[in-house]
Amino acid sequence: MTSLALTRDRIARVRPGPALAALLIAAFLLLFLVVPVVQVIFVAFQDKTTGAFTLVNFADFFGNDLFMRSFANSFYVSAMSVVVASLLALPLAYLTTRFEFRGSVLIQSLGIIPLIMPPFIGAVAMQLLFGRNGSVNLLLRDHFGFSIPFMEGLNGVIFVQSIHYFPFILINLSASLKNIDRAMEESAQNLGCHGFRLFRRIVFPLAMPGYVAGASLVFIKVFDDLGTPLLLNVNDMLAPQAYLRISSIGISDPMGYVISVVLISCSLLALWVSALAMRGKDYATVQRGGGGLAKRRLKPLEMVAAYGIVLLILVLVLAPHVGLGLLSFATIWSFSPVPDAFTLKHYQTVFTESGQYITNTLLYASLAALLDVVIGTAIAYLVLRTKLPGRQWLDYIAMAALAVPGVVLGIGYLRSFYGVPMPFTGQPLSNFWLILVFALAIRRLPYALRACTAALQQVSSSLEEAAENLGATKLRTVSRIVVPLMSGGILAGFVTSFATAAVELSATIMLVHSQSDAPLAYGLYVYMQSAAGRGPGAALGIFAVIIVGLGTYLSHVVIERGRRERGQDQ
Amino acid sequence: MLRTTRTLRNAAAALAVLLLSGTTAFAQDASGKLVIVTSFPKDMTTAFQQAYQKANPKVTVEILNRNTNAGVKYLQETASNNGVDLFWASAPDAFEVLKGAGLLQPYKPKVEGIPAKVGAYPVNDPEGMYAGFAASGYGIMWNSRYMKANDLPVPKEWADLTKPVYFDHVAISAPSRSGTTHLTIETILQGEGWEKGWRTNKEMAGNYRTITERSFGVPDGVNSGAFGVGIVIDFFALSSQASGFPVEFAYPTITTIVPANVGVVKNAPNKAAAEGFVDFLLSPKGQEVLLEPAIRRLPVNPVTYEKAPAGYPNPFKDSSLGSQVNFDVNVSQARYNVVDALFDQLITFQLDDLKAATQAIYKAEAALAKKPNDKAKALLAEARDLVAAMPVTAEQAADPQLAGAFTVERKSAKDTVPERQAQVEQKWAAFAKENYAAARKKADEALALAR
Amino acid sequence: MNHQFSPAALAAQIESVGVDIEGVNLSYGTNHVLKDVNLAIKPGEFFAFLGPSGCGKTTLLRLIAGFNTAQRGEVRIGGRDISTLPPHRRDVGMVFQSYALWPHMTVRRNVAFGLEERRVPRAEIERRVDAALDLVGLKHLADRRPSQLSGGQQQRVALARTVVIEPKILLLDEPLSNLDAKLRVQMRQELLSLQRKLGLTTIFVTHDQEEANTICDRIAVMDDGKVQQVGTPQDLYDHPANLFVAGFLGTANVLDGEVRSDGAAGSVFVGNGITPVALPPQEAGGAGAGTGGKLMFRPQNLAIRADGGPPAPGHARLTGVIRHREFLGASIRYAVDVGGQLVQVDAPHQAGDALLSPDAPIILDLAADKARFLRQ
Repeated sequence: MTSLALTRDRIARVRPGPALAALLIAAFLLLFLVVPVVQVIFVAFQDKTTGAFTLVNFADFFGNDLFMRSFANSFYVSAMSVVVASLLALPLAYLTTRFEFRGSVLIQSLGIIPLIMPPFIGAVAMQLLFGRNGSVNLLLRDHFGFSIPFMEGLNGVIFVQSIHYFPFILINLSASLKNIDRAMEESAQNLGCHGFRLFRRIVFPLAMPGYVAGASLVFIKVFDDLGTPLLLNVNDMLAPQAYLRISSIGISDPMGYVISVVLISCSLLALWVSALAMRGKDYATVQRGGGGLAKRRLKPLEMVAAYGIVLLILVLVLAPHVGLGLLSFATIWSFSPVPDAFTLKHYQTVFTESGQYITNTLLYASLAALLDVVIGTAIAYLVLRTKLPGRQWLDYIAMAALAVPGVVLGIGYLRSFYGVPMPFTGQPLSNFWLILVFALAIRRLPYALRACTAALQQVSSSLEEAAENLGATKLRTVSRIVVPLMSGGILAGFVTSFATAAVELSATIMLVHSQSDAPLAYGLYVYMQSAAGRGPGAALGIFAVIIVGLGTYLSHVVIERGRRERGQDQ
Repeated sequence: MLRTTRTLRNAAAALAVLLLSGTTAFAQDASGKLVIVTSFPKDMTTAFQQAYQKANPKVTVEILNRNTNAGVKYLQETASNNGVDLFWASAPDAFEVLKGAGLLQPYKPKVEGIPAKVGAYPVNDPEGMYAGFAASGYGIMWNSRYMKANDLPVPKEWADLTKPVYFDHVAISAPSRSGTTHLTIETILQGEGWEKGWRTNKEMAGNYRTITERSFGVPDGVNSGAFGVGIVIDFFALSSQASGFPVEFAYPTITTIVPANVGVVKNAPNKAAAEGFVDFLLSPKGQEVLLEPAIRRLPVNPVTYEKAPAGYPNPFKDSSLGSQVNFDVNVSQARYNVVDALFDQLITFQLDDLKAATQAIYKAEAALAKKPNDKAKALLAEARDLVAAMPVTAEQAADPQLAGAFTVERKSAKDTVPERQAQVEQKWAAFAKENYAAARKKADEALALAR
Repeated sequence: MNHQFSPAALAAQIESVGVDIEGVNLSYGTNHVLKDVNLAIKPGEFFAFLGPSGCGKTTLLRLIAGFNTAQRGEVRIGGRDISTLPPHRRDVGMVFQSYALWPHMTVRRNVAFGLEERRVPRAEIERRVDAALDLVGLKHLADRRPSQLSGGQQQRVALARTVVIEPKILLLDEPLSNLDAKLRVQMRQELLSLQRKLGLTTIFVTHDQEEANTICDRIAVMDDGKVQQVGTPQDLYDHPANLFVAGFLGTANVLDGEVRSDGAAGSVFVGNGITPVALPPQEAGGAGAGTGGKLMFRPQNLAIRADGGPPAPGHARLTGVIRHREFLGASIRYAVDVGGQLVQVDAPHQAGDALLSPDAPIILDLAADKARFLRQ
């Protein structure tokens, strides 16, 4: 009886609106994430000869030296990347948020650019600058007779990945640092604490939630990323092993899919561990009466040191883009510190040949990002503000997308949607460009979701109750009160999704079915297949960076204007 | 009002064109849309696209660029509702896979005068599923600035690359990732025999700086000077040179001239245009496109060489080009995946250990040259044998049972697989690791004796 | 919650020191926040900075703690100039308005923090932390996290965390503002008894005059970045130096008028609706005839004269009309229009008393010696 009553009670509390939204999102996730992925990875659990369910493939995985070495390497590289990325992000975040620092907005903006590293070309630029015979080492060898193995083996992967993904830590950590009540820091000073101890004992622990969020993203991305290790020809890591297996011709070996399963499991595990570590520690919010962040003034000497550190880090993390810029203007750049000569003809080539790529990219990336923030906001709302049974699963499933290698998703889409003809045209559904948008959106959904969740957590539910009390419906409350108040987080989600979707390749390459529908990343790939395409490829890469930069800037302007109009200016 | 009507009419017209273009795909004459999946670089596909469209203005060519593996995968995954007319790529093995999967349809080109073989390799598929349209040979590419800066001599033969001086300067792409690299390895194996061939391959591998995943990774690295010497297919080097990079290229004596191919996809929506394109590729006009500086491939139509610039390699005249080895396609086919897996397990994934052993051997050799010692010499020979040792013989490699570990798909419950691929690979990897470690130990002992 | 602090638990009676603030000026850009502030706080004193929000009181407190830097002037603690010392070396304990308990540490770790920073030996830290927690009656909650405590408990932890380091002086920034009314009354008594027992020089920032009046020895009333007046609560109430102080502490009646000479009797204040009020020489403050100013007096200084007889000696007479009334229980407050200005008067109330009705005329007598003349 009790249980029946309970159920009825539960049902009574479920409103139709949120339930419908939850069902729609669940259907979307099921159709565009779960089904395609399961289509691909069920092979991992299949006996090759009988087709029966088996775990023998996993036994093979764990009994294989190469896979175990790859596993260890992936783990090592991911962990070290977190360390190095932290070393890059910490000073930038701390100096720009806790001190009066001229140009901190610029530094924060520049710090996000590395996230937009166009595929292929970014690694080429890094090789040209930091490789064994790159500019830096050529100069070092000429003048000092030694060289630094930045790009050798696993170190190279760690180096490139840290530079590429450190903005995840920077963004999250900065947000956390900004939200620390200054009284927290002052009371410690008041009790005799200062300098690095103050940072270690009070500031950093309070910023921990942001740091852990960023660090776990870095860990997972590095763990799953295959582009960088492949381009640096490091094969003995898990993601490249999976890719090499899956994409080998004529081989029908389940190990690639087994590795995919391992990758997905490890990523989920990492997410779970970080969630566990942060349970009940969501405290980096401004308390009553506190003044938000206190920016201290630096002494002249400290100022010089701080600018020195910031400049050094910026030079390092923007090096790939500087290299890219040089490459895009270079005639020939081979075994020399700088290109032989400069030219504008690559840009001319790109202008005449690649306009379509750019418009497609804008369309796809903005649609995907839009979809992401809509779904992200909806899931965040359902999870935090409703009592729908099973709502957490929407969050879990959406986050799992973080762990799905792009290739797996791409193949899954082909398997799931190729046989389905489109209405009217009869074309396969997977050829429809919106499918590409969905793939991009699914892959970026986790970023947007986390940003939206964090934003919603900071909106007091009493603000909603006030609106409902004044007669607004739930939907109106969400659209007029909640979403505007979340705009900062939503923007962050949109920008991250947009920026990374604009340069995504791994799923794209499987799904592009005609040149006229191809995005920029595909264009880059095509250029980078020939010696003559290197310059135009770099030019197109610069376009990608500019587009993403502009897109980011414009969305900032739009959102900021909205905030100001609503008097939310801080 | 007027404007609305006009907009509507325009929209209707557009719709009609759209519908028409859809239906004309089934018409018999060459028109409509021709969809080509290719792994060739943009420089090359654009040149052909333009030349072809000039001759066939009614056909719109749609190029889908994918690397060979992704292209094959794409065709396999989309076969149920195929929208691709042609598959156009270098590696014959990719075509073999498609052929095996029944994804190609036979077509006999109308163009006359194409020889049956280029070098030692048959131009066309005997069953007519795909046709060769251009030839390419593997060779050695180097960056002259790099060579000068590092004081390296110019390599001419594969054997040169086994010399200590090239240690850590050479790169190759993995044969499992590049069909043409596979053919180079296979050519060496067939030319020198299984045991000796592997010895050469491993001795070269001891000098590898890296083994790339993409074929283009090798010329790309040589172009930028990341490494000095690369084992590449000729057109990569020739087109890099044409783009102005300080690189040069040489064919070794033992090389295979391999045809690059084109095949009509089964159930091609626009079969007529597809066949027309194949004929165009083989026609003198199409063949001439191959001579363009950014492309630089060897035509299969011998008459085209009359228009080639001086010094252009001609496999039909120059008997040294690719004809040293009488390439046996059947032998190659039987052990295809085994060779790839062996290379990956013994070399690609054990490169650090292999290089460490090689370096130890070089050190001991150098010491031995100054202070000869018979015992050390014997130890060194043992070390070299350990490096060269193979876990399987040529006969075993050709055994369909072993090959089955890689290819057998569960088609019926009766298909039996003796061992799973992962098991086989683990065995080989362990073998290599052990041998390289032992070799290194022996070389170190030899070094100690020679001191 | 009825715990009483027992300072015996703390190690030693702290030697009290004074705080001297001299000529302090502080601006944020063009915003002049503190203007020529001079204060001398005596050793062991419980001192308040009282004023409306934005008056500069918190800025001054933070200046003492070292979180602000003055452009001019100096702050001395126990005679030693600390203006150039960084916050962590000032030995000035501060309890923040938000308490600022670190959520990632337990209560015990929070309290131990300051001692750890001072490299106090482990065993002594434990002993002193226990003593401090005992002092505020929270020893049993030592292993909780701050988020698991009530507001009052958090307040006590913040206090324990500050006094455990035995600071030279104690700064309290609106410490009671986050508590409910009942708890606030209780806590202020506890604060007072703690301060008395520790003998710790304490500065208390508040905007609530009742809080300041009930527990502080002396108060500095601040407005617009300036110290308006310093004195004991009674002093400030009875002898406000200016209108601001008068209005800020309690209810003040103010009548406009001017000083006139009254021959032999000296100066008198003349205004609308009031008979001339004799000003003692110290009140007139040497203001010559014709000086404009205001007469300030408290509601309780007025008496309602229902009989309409002549004013008692030493009283001035006011005539006006009742505008409205407020029933307060013990008394009734009438607002009376006197010559176009509203004056509040309190009439004690007994059961059965009839109330006066609005719009009724009324006669009031003012005890002239209780009135203060304030110049414009």
